[in-house]
Amino acid sequence: MNTRSAWLAWSAVAAAAASLGAPLAAQSAAAERPAPRAANGKPDLSGIWVATGAILLFEGEEAFAAARAADAAAGRPAGNSGETPPYKPEAEAQRQYFLARRGIDDPMARCLLTGIPRINFRPLPFEIVQLPDRVLMLYEIHHAFRIIPTDGRGPPEDAEPSYLGESVGRWDGDTFVVDVTSLNDKTWLNNVGTIHTEDMRVTERYTRDSFDTIRYEATMEDPAVLTKPWTLRETFRLRPDERIREYECIESNEDITRFENLLKQGAVTE
Amino acid sequence: MRRLALLLILGSGVLAARLATAHHSFAAVFDGDKPITMTGEITDVEWTNPHFHFSLNVKDPGGAVTLWRFEGYPPNMLVRQGWRRDETLMPGAMVTVEGWASRDDATLGAVRWVTFADGRKLAAGPPAGTGGR
Repeated sequence: MNTRSAWLAWSAVAAAAASLGAPLAAQSAAAERPAPRAANGKPDLSGIWVATGAILLFEGEEAFAAARAADAAAGRPAGNSGETPPYKPEAEAQRQYFLARRGIDDPMARCLLTGIPRINFRPLPFEIVQLPDRVLMLYEIHHAFRIIPTDGRGPPEDAEPSYLGESVGRWDGDTFVVDVTSLNDKTWLNNVGTIHTEDMRVTERYTRDSFDTIRYEATMEDPAVLTKPWTLRETFRLRPDERIREYECIESNEDITRFENLLKQGAVTE
Repeated sequence: MRRLALLLILGSGVLAARLATAHHSFAAVFDGDKPITMTGEITDVEWTNPHFHFSLNVKDPGGAVTLWRFEGYPPNMLVRQGWRRDETLMPGAMVTVEGWASRDDATLGAVRWVTFADGRKLAAGPPAGTGGR
């Protein structure tokens, strides 16, 4: 079925469902419009996306519940909801230290780039631009971007550890796979104290399983701190009416002063 | 002041916390288990990043006035919720604010909703602990 006839079929199903007054969540995954294809036959990931966790903020509780119900019906990930990494005892002790300090050490609170995969879970949209030789990811959060080559080249030879590291893309069937290396150890993975080392490798998998959704998986391998590889999952939703807006982080960030005061007052221990 | 704050704390459960990741500034500064609701007159609005702030004078039943300060969404999210910098919230407006109290500062809060004199209610900050800030 080509894209146009598939879309027409989807339209007919959607119209029928709408005329029956079927609730959104009840529409089966089979009724979902298929993903578009790029000229090379691969799924086209291009579009403006929002992590499903952020739908609560953008569109409210009902829309959030409907999105999660649709994901459950389609077998999509229910989202990163605060899982704990399988840490070795020493790393877990460090996480507990950061928790005891109420999270005041969070690099994000200092407006530092959020790292991979955490940047993908933030509740602000990002745009994917899929080009023949590279994929661009334009994040509203921190006004950050990634340029991911897909022309067969490897990571740059002069790579030094950095906040977003070096990303190289490839296709595994219909899944876009990104290997991320050269990350520094100054970011957290998701929640408070989720540390990692500079040797961490992240493998991201982006599968556009319908026109409106991407299944996302990030697997972290970091044997120095993790007892086994650790995978976080999320669903991204297409939001074509959004646009990537400005995000400035330092102008009135009062957190650093507050955290210094907490330490001075003894509310948080050194 | 702490007594006034306690009086204003209501038991509304709002979707509180634990939905997603605890966020740096929220967990460190605010308490998702201390919801507050208060009505007062806006004295100042700072349309800034990564949070907007506003201040309002809150009168207690005895007539004493306390100046509260609230922190909420950045401008990019406010605009998505229907806010406009020079129209929506201006000094002199009487509003009702729902949010959560600071752990350490008796007159600081995280705002979730603002209800205006005409009954309109706009989201002004994320649910507690959802990492939207």
